Amino acid sequence: MNLSTFRPIFRPYKKPPTTPKPRQPIRPAQQTPQHHPFSSTTRLQKRSKKSSGTDPRITNIRYHLSHPLTPRPLHFSRTRSLRHWTIHRAWLLFLRKRRAAEERELERQYMSMRSACEHLRLMDGNGNRVTEEEGGGQGPDPARLGAKGREVGRLYRSAMLKRGVWGSVPVEYGRLVTDFPAREGWNYAWSAR
Amino acid sequence: MNAGRQTTRRLAPRTGPSSICRSCRDTISRTYASAAAAAVRTEDQIAQHIPPVAQVSPSTSYAVNTGVVLSRPPQITRDLHPFEAAFFLYQRRLNERLALPFTRYFYFKKRTPADVEWKRKMRQRLTPARDIGRYKGYGEEAWNDELLVGADESNFEHQVGKLLEDAEQSGLEGAADTTGATKVDHEPVDKPMPRVTEADRQHDTKSLNRALQRTLYLLVKNKDGQWQFPQDRLKEENLHGAAKRIITHTGGVNMNTWLVGRVPIGHHQLDYPEPRPSGNLQEHGAKTFFMKARIMAGQVNLKENQLDLQDFKWLAKEELKNEVEGSYWRSVKNMLAER
Repeated sequence: MNLSTFRPIFRPYKKPPTTPKPRQPIRPAQQTPQHHPFSSTTRLQKRSKKSSGTDPRITNIRYHLSHPLTPRPLHFSRTRSLRHWTIHRAWLLFLRKRRAAEERELERQYMSMRSACEHLRLMDGNGNRVTEEEGGGQGPDPARLGAKGREVGRLYRSAMLKRGVWGSVPVEYGRLVTDFPAREGWNYAWSAR
Repeated sequence: MNAGRQTTRRLAPRTGPSSICRSCRDTISRTYASAAAAAVRTEDQIAQHIPPVAQVSPSTSYAVNTGVVLSRPPQITRDLHPFEAAFFLYQRRLNERLALPFTRYFYFKKRTPADVEWKRKMRQRLTPARDIGRYKGYGEEAWNDELLVGADESNFEHQVGKLLEDAEQSGLEGAADTTGATKVDHEPVDKPMPRVTEADRQHDTKSLNRALQRTLYLLVKNKDGQWQFPQDRLKEENLHGAAKRIITHTGGVNMNTWLVGRVPIGHHQLDYPEPRPSGNLQEHGAKTFFMKARIMAGQVNLKENQLDLQDFKWLAKEELKNEVEGSYWRSVKNMLAER
């Protein structure tokens, strides 16, 4: 017969009794004094020589985390489980539509940036459009010059420089978007000096 | 190819190095290289075809502008879609059924005021959660654990109100005062600010406290009376350098702004009905490249603007559509965020 059925759910953790080991010589590395040892044990408990083995706080946490009243499994009726399934499917559909919409929005913004950059790349000093051969490089080698030389795509090359772009991200971006606005509202009184 | 080079060499001394620039000479040599065989024979005719210097350089040009899309980021979370709100409430109520029971002694020491208050309140509302109503997951009525359509608990304001009520009350309000103790004054609970502000109700488009869930874009009225993003002609500078200058020239220095990157987020090409002379060139239109910028604090002040601007507005994307021209809207709509 399995006796574990009758055991209480919670038992204080105790090590199995072991034969006392011969005392090991203390190595020099352990003799270095530690003024702030890393330990969560209270000073008083540490001082008392007869340690019970287990921290009572750990006992407490273990006791409360294993609640005897574990929720029983959900048993839905036929219609109720069908309803639950429908709700779940509708939620997945909703998520998919929203994600697709977000992706489309990102794509629109990206294509807008891309076409602006293409116009910059194929634009000479007078703002005229040049042909692909006369324009410079794109993508990984924006610094490559085309047949017409430096005058074509000057603004494009300066826009592609990445040096210092992340140097000045303002600290205000650390503010999270909250459910309710700030009490004082928008800071109109900000001044540069 | 040899013949072509010869032609170029023959052309160069004839026209003279001072009268024609190098790039034009290159252009000529390239144009006539294919027709080199014929050109060898008819040199004199080619020489007649070389146009004067003023016309050799391209006669057309476009004005290149930089525009600044200065935007205020959303300040609060978006309103939930009705289906989202309903689904979240449904899941939270199911969680009451599926979570472990609340272990009171782990959080409250026995017979402390907090423990007693929690017990009192729990006896009144019968569910650990404070804002989603009574939940009965067990017993005879276990089948009846769902809220009906249009119940108060599904209302966002009701949920917030319940949370506030729980924070304010001690659970002793209804009970008769048997102890005769003096009434304890509690510190008043801070109520959150409303999500719809005064500026929203008055539709104050100059205010930055408006439409807190949305991105607001700065739109200015130029000297022709057109609403558009602040823009100016590019001088000898980069796009991002020009954008910084335009922000200062538009709204003064008392704005905490940040330019997001150096890459333009969009462009708009405007073709003039008839070309306008600009120097010795003919301008056929204007190309505007838009840079993205954020405003963190401060407000636009047009008093000392150097771009002849008359007015400004902070508008969300849909409101912006009604103010700007159709072709302008079609150029800028893709670069603006939906929210």
